[in-house]
Formats: sequence, structure tokens, C-alpha cells
Amino acid sequence: MKLFFNLFKNKSEFSRKSKSAPDFEKMSAESRRRFLALMGATTALTATACKDYRDKGEIISYNRKPQDVTYGKANYYASTYRDGSPILIKTREGRPIGITGNDIHPTSKGKVSIQAEASILDLYDPERLKFPLKNGNKTEWKTANQEIVKRLDEISAKGKEIAIITGKINSPTYAKLLNDFAGKYKNTGIYPIELFSDRNKRLAWNACYESNEYPAIDWSKANVIVAVEADLFASDGVPPEQINEITKRRSGEKAENFNRIYAIEAGMSLFGANADYHIRVRPGVYYSLLLAIYNDLVVKLAPFGHSTIGDYSIEKVVAENKLNQKKINALLNDLLNNQGKSIVYVGDNLPVQLHIIANFINDILSAYELFDYNSSYVEFFKILETSEIENLIGRMKQGEIGAVIFADINPAYILPPDFDLQGALKNIELKIALTERENETSKLSDFVLPINHPFESWGDYQTRKNIVNLQQPVIEPIFDTRQKEAILLSWIYGNNAEYSFDLYHKYLKNKYLEVAKQLNAVDFDSFWYSALHDGFIQLKGNEKNITKPKLIILRQTKKPIEDSGISIVLKKSPLIGDGRYSSNGWLQEIPHPVSKIVWDNYAAISPITAKRYGLDYKDFKSSVIKISIGSKEITMPILLQPGVAEDTIIIELGYGRKEAGTIGTGVGFDAIPLMDKTLSVVLSGAKIEKTGKKYKLFATQEFHKLEDEYLKDLHRKRQLIQDGTVAMYLSNPNFIQKQRIMTEEEIDKHSVNPPHNYPEAKWAMAIDLSRCVGCSNCVAACNVENNIPIVGKEECGNGREMHWMRIDRYYSGTSEEPIVSYLPVLCQHCDMAPCENVCPVVATTHSTDGLNQMTYNRCVGTRYCANNCPYKVRRFNFYDFRHRFADGYYEQDSLELLHNPEVTVRSRGVMEKCTFCVQRIAEARQGAKSKGKEFTGAEVRTACQEACPANAIVFGNVNDPNSEISRLIKHNLGYKLIEILGIKPNVTYLAKLRNTNSEDLT
Amino acid sequence: MSIEVLKEPSVIEGKPTFVEIDEQISSPIDKSPNIKYLIALGITSTMLLIGVISIGATFFYGIGLWGNNNPVGWAFDIINFVFWVGIGHAGTLISAILFLFRQKWRTGIARFAEGMTIFAVMTAALFPLIHVGRPWLAGYLFPYPNQHHLWVNFTSPLLWDVFAVSTYFTVSFVFWYIGLIPDFATLRDRAKSGVKKVIYSILSLGWRFSNRHWHNYEMIYLILAGFATPLVLSVHTIVSFDFAVSIMPGWHTTIFPPYFVAGAVFSGFAMVQNVLIIIRKIFNFEHIITLDTLEKMNKIMLATGSMVGYAYGMEFFIAWYSGSQFESFVFINRAFGPYAWAYWIMVSCNVVFPQLFWFKKIRRNIPIMFVIAVLVNVGMWFERFVIIVTSLAHDFMPSSWAYYKPTLVDFGILIGSSGLFFTLLLLFIKAMPVISIAEVKAVLDGAQPHHHTHNGGRNGK
Amino acid sequence: MENKIIYGVTGIFDTPDEIISAAKQVKSSGFERFDVHSPYPIHGMPKAMRLGASPLGYFALVFGLTGAFAAFALMTYLMGYDYPLIISGKPFIPIPAFIPVTFEVTVLLASVGTVLAMLFLLFKLPNNSHPLHDTDYMKKVSSNKFGVCIEAKDEKFNEAEVIEFLKSIGAKDIEVIYYDNEALNFKVNIFEWMFVAFLVVSALVVSGATYIVLNKLMFAPPFNWMMEQHRLDAQVESKFFGKGNFSMRVAPAGTVSRNSNQFKFSGQPELADAKLINPLIPTEENLRKGMKKYDIYCSPCHGYYGIGDARLNGQFPNPPSLHSEKVRNWGDGHIFYVITEGQNSMPSYSSQLTNEEKWAIVLYVRALQRAMNAKEEDVK
Repeated sequence: MKLFFNLFKNKSEFSRKSKSAPDFEKMSAESRRRFLALMGATTALTATACKDYRDKGEIISYNRKPQDVTYGKANYYASTYRDGSPILIKTREGRPIGITGNDIHPTSKGKVSIQAEASILDLYDPERLKFPLKNGNKTEWKTANQEIVKRLDEISAKGKEIAIITGKINSPTYAKLLNDFAGKYKNTGIYPIELFSDRNKRLAWNACYESNEYPAIDWSKANVIVAVEADLFASDGVPPEQINEITKRRSGEKAENFNRIYAIEAGMSLFGANADYHIRVRPGVYYSLLLAIYNDLVVKLAPFGHSTIGDYSIEKVVAENKLNQKKINALLNDLLNNQGKSIVYVGDNLPVQLHIIANFINDILSAYELFDYNSSYVEFFKILETSEIENLIGRMKQGEIGAVIFADINPAYILPPDFDLQGALKNIELKIALTERENETSKLSDFVLPINHPFESWGDYQTRKNIVNLQQPVIEPIFDTRQKEAILLSWIYGNNAEYSFDLYHKYLKNKYLEVAKQLNAVDFDSFWYSALHDGFIQLKGNEKNITKPKLIILRQTKKPIEDSGISIVLKKSPLIGDGRYSSNGWLQEIPHPVSKIVWDNYAAISPITAKRYGLDYKDFKSSVIKISIGSKEITMPILLQPGVAEDTIIIELGYGRKEAGTIGTGVGFDAIPLMDKTLSVVLSGAKIEKTGKKYKLFATQEFHKLEDEYLKDLHRKRQLIQDGTVAMYLSNPNFIQKQRIMTEEEIDKHSVNPPHNYPEAKWAMAIDLSRCVGCSNCVAACNVENNIPIVGKEECGNGREMHWMRIDRYYSGTSEEPIVSYLPVLCQHCDMAPCENVCPVVATTHSTDGLNQMTYNRCVGTRYCANNCPYKVRRFNFYDFRHRFADGYYEQDSLELLHNPEVTVRSRGVMEKCTFCVQRIAEARQGAKSKGKEFTGAEVRTACQEACPANAIVFGNVNDPNSEISRLIKHNLGYKLIEILGIKPNVTYLAKLRNTNSEDLT
Repeated sequence: MSIEVLKEPSVIEGKPTFVEIDEQISSPIDKSPNIKYLIALGITSTMLLIGVISIGATFFYGIGLWGNNNPVGWAFDIINFVFWVGIGHAGTLISAILFLFRQKWRTGIARFAEGMTIFAVMTAALFPLIHVGRPWLAGYLFPYPNQHHLWVNFTSPLLWDVFAVSTYFTVSFVFWYIGLIPDFATLRDRAKSGVKKVIYSILSLGWRFSNRHWHNYEMIYLILAGFATPLVLSVHTIVSFDFAVSIMPGWHTTIFPPYFVAGAVFSGFAMVQNVLIIIRKIFNFEHIITLDTLEKMNKIMLATGSMVGYAYGMEFFIAWYSGSQFESFVFINRAFGPYAWAYWIMVSCNVVFPQLFWFKKIRRNIPIMFVIAVLVNVGMWFERFVIIVTSLAHDFMPSSWAYYKPTLVDFGILIGSSGLFFTLLLLFIKAMPVISIAEVKAVLDGAQPHHHTHNGGRNGK
Repeated sequence: MENKIIYGVTGIFDTPDEIISAAKQVKSSGFERFDVHSPYPIHGMPKAMRLGASPLGYFALVFGLTGAFAAFALMTYLMGYDYPLIISGKPFIPIPAFIPVTFEVTVLLASVGTVLAMLFLLFKLPNNSHPLHDTDYMKKVSSNKFGVCIEAKDEKFNEAEVIEFLKSIGAKDIEVIYYDNEALNFKVNIFEWMFVAFLVVSALVVSGATYIVLNKLMFAPPFNWMMEQHRLDAQVESKFFGKGNFSMRVAPAGTVSRNSNQFKFSGQPELADAKLINPLIPTEENLRKGMKKYDIYCSPCHGYYGIGDARLNGQFPNPPSLHSEKVRNWGDGHIFYVITEGQNSMPSYSSQLTNEEKWAIVLYVRALQRAMNAKEEDVK
């Protein structure tokens, strides 16, 4: 202390020791040395402290490196996902880290479902069962198997039935296996149950054509597509294939052969949102409308073997139900003028009668010219009809069934309470659930046996006559699990058989020995090898057989749906299906393609009806309603959905799971209890009433009334969406260019600075809005590729979702007849990026190949760049979301395996955004270098581009004259977002074309 | 300082002697704190504590604790920053610009205003540091040689801020300290207790009242005033660049620099006003900080307030005149959109109420002027809220619009910031002369030669 | 009392007017080393004391220009030359953007520099040990009096005369100021134990703090430098599979990846020998490629000429020569088989070499064999 005071010496009361700093001159050389030594020691001591002792970990390499693995390079395996999508699994050092479509697959054309894209997360889900459970307690496989086999023997000895309840079976080998099982245990029943399936379609086809295998449709040949309550782009049929084929005919590239889409539906499905004409009809009217159309065609065409049914006429139906006359007329004209090139498709889950009518209409339209009998849809076990389910459960109640095996299915959730499965299970002595994770059914079972994820399993899938997709594991089970086939197999073999991971593999190969023979392959090994390599085997398909359906069948149909009270349409969720994917955070967080709602379902209702019941949805606060049909009732929040028919509500199922782990449990509301034993998805005679409660229903886009004059059509006024009709375009190909405010050339003319030039490569993207249907596959793919964290419902509500790629949905028109536009937005990588010059720490700069780059390690998180981004594509890590979300659920060790090693896992406080998949560009560049080739960038494909089923996204190097992108950026439909800012974005949008008669636009 | 004593009523009422001046000005320092003071300190330090806790939590968990969301990247953090920098403008303005204009009435309040400047800027400087996502890397904002060989981005307005604010703080501090040196020396020689003496000795650097020193001292004061004047204008100009240089509708406006400076002076004077009214009551400085002084300040507030009002109007005109639909949308949205409430609070507090100062009665009525000054501060805070939040919340892409709602932590930090400011102010009052002794002496009647006022000889007797 | 060194003589005046006149008289009577003290600056005093103009203006100018130049030069160098980056498509040296910082630095240096120069160069402050401190004189002039002080250093100085002189110009309570002896003859002793202890303690504290901060605190939450990321790069340990365990997995047996290629003859060298034919023809290009790959992958053990002279000097068993009867009689397929499958202690080279490269090596090995025991006609 003293010393300090002495520095400011003060005469009065302080000792006059040392006068400020020591004076070297006065010191002896001796003492100076000692002094310096002292100082030196001090500094040395301090310096050593600054050394960094932290352990940087060690390198562990393969003992015996697999031949086809190269460190740091991805490896691809052809396989199949559980929904039958042919996929390529991307692995790094033997760990699956991503999914892409199987590019050489004939039917899928390298496109997969959104569920398959996100499925990689399920593989590493920390809540997968890790060991067998007996009455909820851990047990060993051996003991479990022994006991089960013992008791199965007893039960079959007692002559009681063993019921295997399973999902839709589209694996021939699994089917064979089940038969073998029935071979061992004589009284085995096999019961495939599905909530959503093509059952009705098949029944109808069978009724009309005496064949169980209905043909696939070659959509790319269809000029006119009429879908009745069918969401061909999200939940009916095989969406990725349908999107791919239908959008082939919806592009400004070849506008002249643009197809035309009619959606006749009660709600606003993704297909309806993309339809040229969306005709909203209460479900009760489908029957009469279809018959009216039929009659109209019969009258106009007088086709052989058809005659009008009843007194259904267009005028009457239109008048009675106040339908849009103009649209209906357009529909009828198009059907008449496009025989052989038009088709009416009825939603898979609609009643059989409607399918039958559709078949007859298609017959008149000779739609069979679009049918692809070669790859008809096959089925190995008939899916139970509702009566059969009822009788099964009845037999359970009477105790005729001794054991139930739930093979990867969750009837306790998907079967409505009316069936009282729970009660029935009480008098079953042995209940076994084979499942990946605990669910409502496994909770009711004595034995819960954990099964493999598809990526850990062998198998085969055949949905089409002419093609079998093979499934091969890419990693050995990461938990102590076995695949369900292998489990059943080990029971067939009995206790003396020793289980091995190869058990089912061998069985599968044996099955294909004879297949190889049929295809007379020379040697099985190479046959099998190439089959696995390609991921599929081509088989012989059906011949074309055109028989006329008997009119009597049509005569016998009666109105399936009453049109009374409030009608309800229950749909499969385009994201989490019938609830089987609800524990996948990525799928839960992807905004609903139409409503943009996240982490929830809702009762979609038309604004007018809503007003009548005094319901509203403002600032994400939605009024909760009570929906009741007879004694059944549920409560759920509403959503004001433009385009929904009056007195109708649309509810998506799959939500409100009670046992779906941390992620899925309690998300949304369960509407299955509304169903009755017919499992019909269209209900009528419902009542709704306001409960007065409010519920927070979060969307990634704000809602406003379409009638609000000030906000109306803002996306068009601001030229975010530029659209026109095909007719306009054909007559005046430059109509978009005329609207453009400022072209690149003008910007350069006005700019004080000369533009930088990019000699090597310059990356750019083009997105064709006519093709884009908003299915959000790209979002899922981007999440996987770029380690996007899941933020959860609340944070989405706070406007903090992290998706690098978002799909904006805009409405114009009225809330009765809305016109929907989709706009995929990602970082536009502007040449004069406004985000760059405001960053104080140069964390975001431009690369020499024209990319706008983020330097995560440099970013301090001022968020200035995000403020200054006109497209609002920058995402800020407000928290360490992995740590924050569900108490670090997705921060657990198993998730380490998931993340793409080529992409930084960003910490909190860091800004991030789309990078144009720079890691892929780098990889391609290295590849070219190592091959000694000149790098053109032709082979680079971004994750979103790969995933887009519509091929709406094109990415490439504009400096490469023969790249597709260099052509598209000059396309006369091309425009950029908010060009007036003069920041020269590098994403070109091709204006959206709608194939309506010109005057119908808006 | 070199203030010509003209034939006008003295700025100091009731002709005190030098000794009385010493007594009065140093009385808050000599006396031990009374209960009123302690209560005040208690309140402010509690506010400060709240702020510390909120900031600590933010530091640990992240910005997510605030209400900021994707379109609205900046909110309370930058609002508070701009607000406090604005407050900091009055001090230097009073001590520098009024000094150059030879406004004698400034002597009573200059020191105090400078003090406020420094504390306000300290408070403000806090926010650029804590508003970042990774505060422990805030060092990246400064250009220093590092192993990345990476420097800072000199084209970023945020970086200009760093320079502007730090320069402004340093210069104001030096200005303030230079003024304090002679007073410290006076206190040193009055000090009874040893510790005090030591402290004041250190602070006074051993000042000796030598006229060879006074000679240069006056010169440096002039020079500093000369530098501080453009500086004070530049600081808020540069702060306004944060917005003007961006491309956001509602931010990208050339009117911002003058508009911000006027606003800053406006709010700064209001704050000085508020605090002075209390101080002069508690420590009965009524005759040094006179009513005339307060009235003059009111006039300045009236002037700046009207400028701000003009700016509001002009913004709307330009928004319409520019023909940019984005621009006009933002402004109409401000006035009638979801944030209309904030906008109308701003207008009424900043434009309407200050107009009352046209009336001399109100200008000289202390309670009323106090209330108006408070309103002005509220209004100016809301001005920043309106500018920052409404522009971001509804910008180019309707798809990414979102409504901003602050959280408790946001308010905690807001409270904490004023807690910090007032705590420092209270400590300052207790530890240092809040009025420049030397300056006041210099402007007393008969303090200067050749002016034979009737008490010419009385001093020193 | 022991003889003290005198500093000067002081006198007190009451009013500004008196002090002004006093100052004039002192100056006019030829004193140079004198000073006037007053609680505040008095107008006309510099004139009365005939002080020259203050030099501070020039200081300010110099500092200001330095600041301006330094700032601008620094920015130009850093952004234009040291680390040029494309930012918003602006030129590397965007002059307008430099103006604000240049201005700020100018003001900063000018004001702070001038002030410091004044305090430390001109005034020689801080100086609390000046003789005038703690005198009654100083107490008076710091409050309400005005005073003159004539220093002993002045050559005209003579204690008695000066006192008389001051009296004559009307100074009151005149005081003689002495230096403080102790202050003058004070010796530094840096080995005073307190100082040493202070150094040691501060050293320990500093180093301890530095260590804890740099190596512990900085890596505790919330601090995150993205050094450990929640992902697995190649060849790292994986928490999930347990300590010391691979993050890298081996694909299950029987799976086929897209970039694996089938080798039908694994385990059947004879078959390979019989069935496989070398698709390459021995062009120079192929041979060169073969040589390149051979030298990289084969020569370490087999030696550059295939005579089995390993360069691993005994760390690994030397392989037999490639010129043995046996190998010469092998078909190409057999050599290919060995490269692909490995043999004895030789591992497989499939993951290093593509099939084409393997065949190229086979060609080269053949060439070596031929060169080793060339026949007559080869020489011709």
C-alpha cells in the first residue's frame, strides 16, 4: 500500500521512503542484476501460467480398413425405407449421416418421401428401446425368447389362436416368413391393420375389374388431373413420384404442354393449393357431384355400356350447393376435350362407392391410356376390412386368442376407442410388442422387444408388380436390438437355434435364390451383388387388360356420406403420417406445407363459418372448440383456413399421442376418437361449440385477413411472387421482363464502384416457381445436411426457427376462393450483400467464387447482418438450442453420430444461414483436382436440389457456358427478389405460371 | 474562464464570498451522508443489482432470454444504447458549445452536466458489449494484431460506433477532469482528515494555482471546447449511421444525423433538468443553479423538441415523396399498425407537451417543467423503440414479419441501466464538487480586476 | 535547526486589482523566477506577468494531423493490402467509409495528446512534493487570497531584500519557504522487504489467475469456442460407443456400397489365374502409371526392382523376390489376385488402388521380370 502512496509523495504524514520508481542510475551493478533477476523470475512465472494444458484427444484409426472406405469421404448404400421409398444412405466411416433418393431407381427417379429424408434422426433417437422388457423390466434376449417360445408352444397346444397384428405387408419375404410361422404354429392368424391405406381403392378396383392389382398411373401423360379429396402431393398414393411426374408438365420451360389440375375438396390440401382450379365442396356432395359429372359425360358422349344414373345433374348439384359454376364448366369442358389424356382420382381413404364412380368416369374418359399395368400395385396380405377388425377384437374378448404379437404397429393408438382394444387385450394371456420405441400398444404388452431401425435391417419391399426394392443394413444395430423378421424367425427355429445378426440375411438370400432362377441369372453371387448395389430387382409386370366394368355395380352404389350438420374430414398428416413419425423432431418442426403451423394440428375451418360460431385466430392465439358426434367429443383449436368449404372442418390425424416419448407425447390433439368402427375418414352430423378457451397455435408466418385492403396481395405488389397464366406467357413470352424494375445491367450502370469479377467459378441457383409445390422436402434435406438444430414449439412461436431454407406461402384472392403461391427462400448470396458491410468483425464476407460466407468462429453475434438482410434468411442461435430443447434431448451422445462432419455444429450466439452447401462444392473441387480434371462445378448438387421431387431447383456455375444454370438465369420468366435494392442476388426465380384461362387469375 | 463580465445581472445570486462558495459547494462532500441520500442510494443500487442479475443470466444462457426474434434482431439493447448516448450529449454541449458561445449561465451546471455525460456514456457503452451473442468475444470489435491476421471491418457503422463512443467518452472524461483539477487542489487544502487529503492530493496532481499554469490552462480549455463541439455532433451522427447506412425501410434515411443529434440534445437537457431540480433543492444551490438557468434550458428543449417534431413530419413526407412502397408502408404501419401505441406515445411526449414551453409561466414553473422533462425522456426512449422495432418487425418480406414482445429480462436490464447511471451520479455528488468552484469564483462580482463593484474589496476580508 | 535550503519568499494580497499591480511591479523590478498564485485565473494577469503566448495550439495541430494520418494509413493498409476481402462488392479501399474513424481518431489524439503534453511536459505534474504544498500560503491562495512568490533561484534573489521589496508593494503575512531536506537526500532501496514481497505476491497472483482463467474458466460454460463440436470427424473417439472406442464403424457383412466393386475370385487364386486377363496393353503410359503406383505402394517392401530388398530395414519381414520361378510362371490374374486379396503377411491393397491401377502394376511387374532375365531377342 505504502508504496503506491509514495508514488504520489505527500509531505504531511507519509514516510518518505522510495521516491516513485527505483532509480537505476543510483544502483550498483550488483544490485541491478539482482533486481533484473527478480523481475525476470516474475515474468517467467506469469508466462508459464499462460501455457495451454488442455488435452486435444487422440487419433483412433481402423485396425483393418474396409476396402471401400476412404477417410473423410462419404460412401453410399442403396437401400429402402420402411415406407418403401428406395433410398441411398450416405455414410461416413460406416455411420449413416444422410439420405438421398436412389438415382437409378426406375419408379422413384431418385426422389424420396419427406419422412425418409428425416428418418436418419430416428436411427439415433436416444429414446429407442435398448433392450427387451418383460412387464416393464429389463431382461435378456435369451431368457425372453425361451419363455416366449415356451408359452407360444403351450398356447398353440391349447388350440388357442396366435394373432400376429402387423402393418401393411409389402415385403414378399416377410410374407413368406409369416406363412412359415403359421406353418409352425398351426393356428396363427395374420392381421394387417392400417388406419390409412389403399384398401378402399383396391376394393373398388376389384369390384369393377375383378383384379386385386390396380395399375399405376403415368401422370406425366395426363393433360387434365381431377383429384377428389386426394392430396397427391402430400399424403395419397406415392407423393414424391406423383410430384415428380405431374410437375414435369408444369414448367415455363415447355409451357405449351402444361397440364391442368382440378382439386375438388372440402379443405385446402397441398394439392389443392397447387391446383389451377380449387373447387371447394362439402364432402357430403362428392357423391352427387361425381355422379353428375358422370351423367353429364354420358349425355354428351353417349359411350357404349354407360347410362345416366339417377337424376343427378350438374345444374342441380351446383345450384343446391352453391358451387362455382365457372370452375365446374371449365372442368367438364376439359374432360370432354381430353379423352384419353385426363383422369379423375379419388382420395385413397374415401368410401368405396366414390372410387367406383371414379372408375366409371375414367372408363368413359378412356383413362386406361394413362394406366401403367406393368407396375401395378400389389399386395401380399389383404388389409383387414373394418368388419374383420371388429370380429378379431370380438374373438379376443371371447378368449379365443391366446397370444397377440404386435409387429411394429400401434393399434392402441390408431384404432378408435369404439373398438375397445384395451378391454379386449385384458383376456389375452401373452401380449408381445415388437417396436422401436415405447408406444401406446407396448405399454399394454407383457413383452416389449426392441427392433432395428430400417438402416440396421435386411429386407425387401415390393409395392409394384415389376420391381422389388432391397433393403440392406449400413450399420450394425447400435443398441441391443434385433429386426422383427429375425425375432419371428428365431421363434420359428425354436430355442435350440442360436441367434445371429445374419439370421434373416440368409433367409432373404434363400428367398431370392429362386427369384434369380426365374430371372435365369447365371451366378447368384453376382446377381445378388448387383441387386444390392442397385437396390432393386426388375421383375415381370402385368399385361394391359382392358375390361369394361359392369354398369350394375355403379347402379348399386348409394350415397356413402350424409350431408348434415358439420362435416369432418380426417386426413393423414403430410409430415408425421398416422402418428408413426411423431417422435421425429425434425418432422414436427417442419412447417405444415399449407398452414405453416409447427408442432400442432388443428381444426381447419373457413373464416365465414368461424365467424358464425364466434371463433377467431389472432396473434397465434386460437379459440378452442368442442367437436361432438353423438356421444363422442373432442376439443381442439381452430385455424382459419382460406378455401375450406363452409360447415366443414379438416383435421389431420397422427397428433395427440400419449406414449411417444419426450418429443411426440402430447403434441397436438387426437381426433381418432371421433371415428367409428367403419374407420371412415369423412364424418358428418357433427356439432361444434365454442369453449371460450384459447390455445397457442404457432406458425412460422403471421396471419392476416385476406380482405385487409392494406395488406392484400402485398407479395404481388412487392414482386416477391410474379405470376401469370400459361396463355399470357405463350402470347407474350416477355411479360415478366417487362415488369422488372431494375436489371443487373442498370444496377451496374448506376453503381459508383466497378463490380468484382469472379474468374474461376460463380455459383447461382434458379428456382422454378411453376414446378415448386411447397412440399418442404428441401427443408428436411437441408436440416439433415447442415446440422440444423430443433428449437421446439415455444421458440418457433418466438420467431426463432432455424431452418436455412423456408417455403413462404402467400394467399391472394378471397378467403373462399384463395389463390396460393409458394416461394422457397434461402440465402440469395447477393453480389453486393448488405449483410457483409455491416458486420463489424468481418465474420461474413464474399468468397472468390461468389458465395456469401459465414465465418462462425469469428462471429460475435451482433445480429446486425440479420437486421440488414432484406430476405430475412439469416438465423441466429439465440440459445444453444441443442442444449436448450427438451433438456438437451438432442445433445445426447448418440446424436453425435448423426451430425454431418463436414459442417460446423454452431454454438449459441452465432449467426448462420444457407451456404449453398459449400462443403459439397469443396468436395467436388477436391475430386476434380485429384483426378487432374478442370473444375467446372457441373457435378455439384445442393441438398435441397437433390431432394426436390419436382426438380424445381437448379444449381450451378454460371461461368460454365454449358451449365443449365447459365441458361436459366437468362430465362425470360426469370426475376430476382426485391431487385430495386440493387444488391444483385444470385437466386433467379422463374415466375409462377398457372394454367387457368387468363381472366381467372387473381 | 474568459467570460467577459457584461452589464447584466450576475448568474450567481446573493453575492457570496469566495469562502462561502467553498463552503457551499464542498458542503455535500464534507457532511456525512444524510438519511435521504442513503435511501436514494439504496434504491438506485437495488435497480443496479436487478440489472446485474439480468445481464448475468443473459451472459450465461444467451440472448434468447430477451424478446428479440428473427426479424427483430435489435430491440431493448440498442434502444437503451442510443437512449443513453443521447442523454450523454447535454453535458459536453453545455460545457463546450455554450462555453464557445460565452454563455455565462452554464457555469453553474457545466460540471454537473459533464459528470452526467460521462456516466451516461459509460452506461451506453455497456450495451454494445452485452448485446452480442458471445460477449466473451466482444474483443473482436477492436482492431488488434492477432494470430488470425484478421482485423475489423472499417466499413461497418457498428465499428464506427466503437470508435465514436470510446473517443467521446475519453475526451469528455479529460475535459471533465481538467476542470476538476483546481477544485481538487482547493479541497486538498481544505481537507481535515489525512485519507481525504491523500486522495485529493493524488487527484489534484499537485496543482499549485500558479498563473503560469492558469495561462495554458485557459488555452487548453478553449482547445478542448473546440474539439468537443464537432465531436459531440459527430457521435450521434455516427450512431444514426447504424440505421441510416442500412437498407431497411424506415432506417435508410438521410435525415437521421441531424434528427438524432437534435433528439439527443433534447433528451440530454431533459435529463439534466430533472436531476438538477432535485440537486439544487437538496443541497440548496438555488442561488447558483438559478431559475433563469432552468428557463434557458427549457428554451433549448423547446427548440430541439420542435426540430424533432419537424423531423417526424419530414420522414412521412419523404416516405411518400420517395415513391418507395416499402418506405411508405413502414411509416403508415408505424402510425396505424400494431405499434401505433408506441408511435403516439412518442409524438405526444416529444412534440406536443414541450410546446407548453412557449409560455413563460410554464417555463418558470418548476413542478411542471419537471413533469415535462420526465415525459420527454420517456418519449425519446419510445422514439428509439419506434425507429428500431417497428422498422424491423415489418420489413420487405411479409412472410417473416413478427411482433416483438419484450421479456422481464429486457426490463431488468433497462432498470439496471438507469440504476447504474443514478448510482454513479449519487456517488459523484458525494465525492466531488458538483459545481466548478474555480469557475464560479471567476464569475462572481468583483472577481475580476478593473470593475469596481460595491463589494469590490469585500472578498477576502 | 539544521541548515535548510531556501525555496523562495511569498506574500499575500487581498484583491485582484492589488495582485495585478503587484505582479507588474515584481516583473518591472527585474525578477524573472517568480510566480503569482490565485484561486482562479485573473484577466490581464498574463499581460501583467508578460507571459508569452501559449504553445498548446501547435501541440494540438501536430497531434491532430498525426491522428488523422495514422488512422487513414492504418485502415488503408489493413483493408487494402494486409487482408483484402470482398465486402458487399465494395472496392478494397472504400475511402468514404474511412471518414468517420479518421475523424474520431483525429479528435482523440489531438485532445488527449495536448492535455497530457500540458500536464506532464509543461507543468511537470504530478508533483506533490513541491515546497509550496502544505504551506499557509498555499492554503490561502487556494481559497480566497492572491499571492506572489519570488524564488531563490532568481539571480537577483536576496532573502532580506526580497522581504523588504514585498513589504514595499503591500504584501501581507510574508513567508519564507524552505525545501524539505528528507525529500532531497532520500535514497532508493528496492530490496526493502515490502517491495520484494509485493513483487513475489503479485507474480503469484497474476500467474495463478492467468492459469485458472486461460485453462479452466475459459472452457467452462457458458464459454464456447466451437473447439469441441457435437459431431464425429474421422478417426476420433466416440463417447457413444464408449471410451477408447471407434467412432468409425464397419459395414455389416454382405452389404454392398455404391463405390465397392465385386471381386469374384476371393479365396480362389487359381481361378483368378485362369479367368482374369489383363485389360491393359503395355503402352509407355500404362507402364509409367504402373511404375508410379508400384514405387509408392509396392517398392517399400519389394524394392524398386522387385528383388525383395525392403527399405524397412527389418521392421517387417522381407518378401520373396518377384523374379522367382514361381511368380514368373503366375498368370497376370494371380498377381492381380495377390494385390487385391493380399497373401501371407502382405495386406490387401484394394482400398488404395483402383482395378485399373492394379492392372498397370501387373504390367510393370511383368516388365521388371522381363528386364531382370532378358532374352537374346530383347537386346536386339
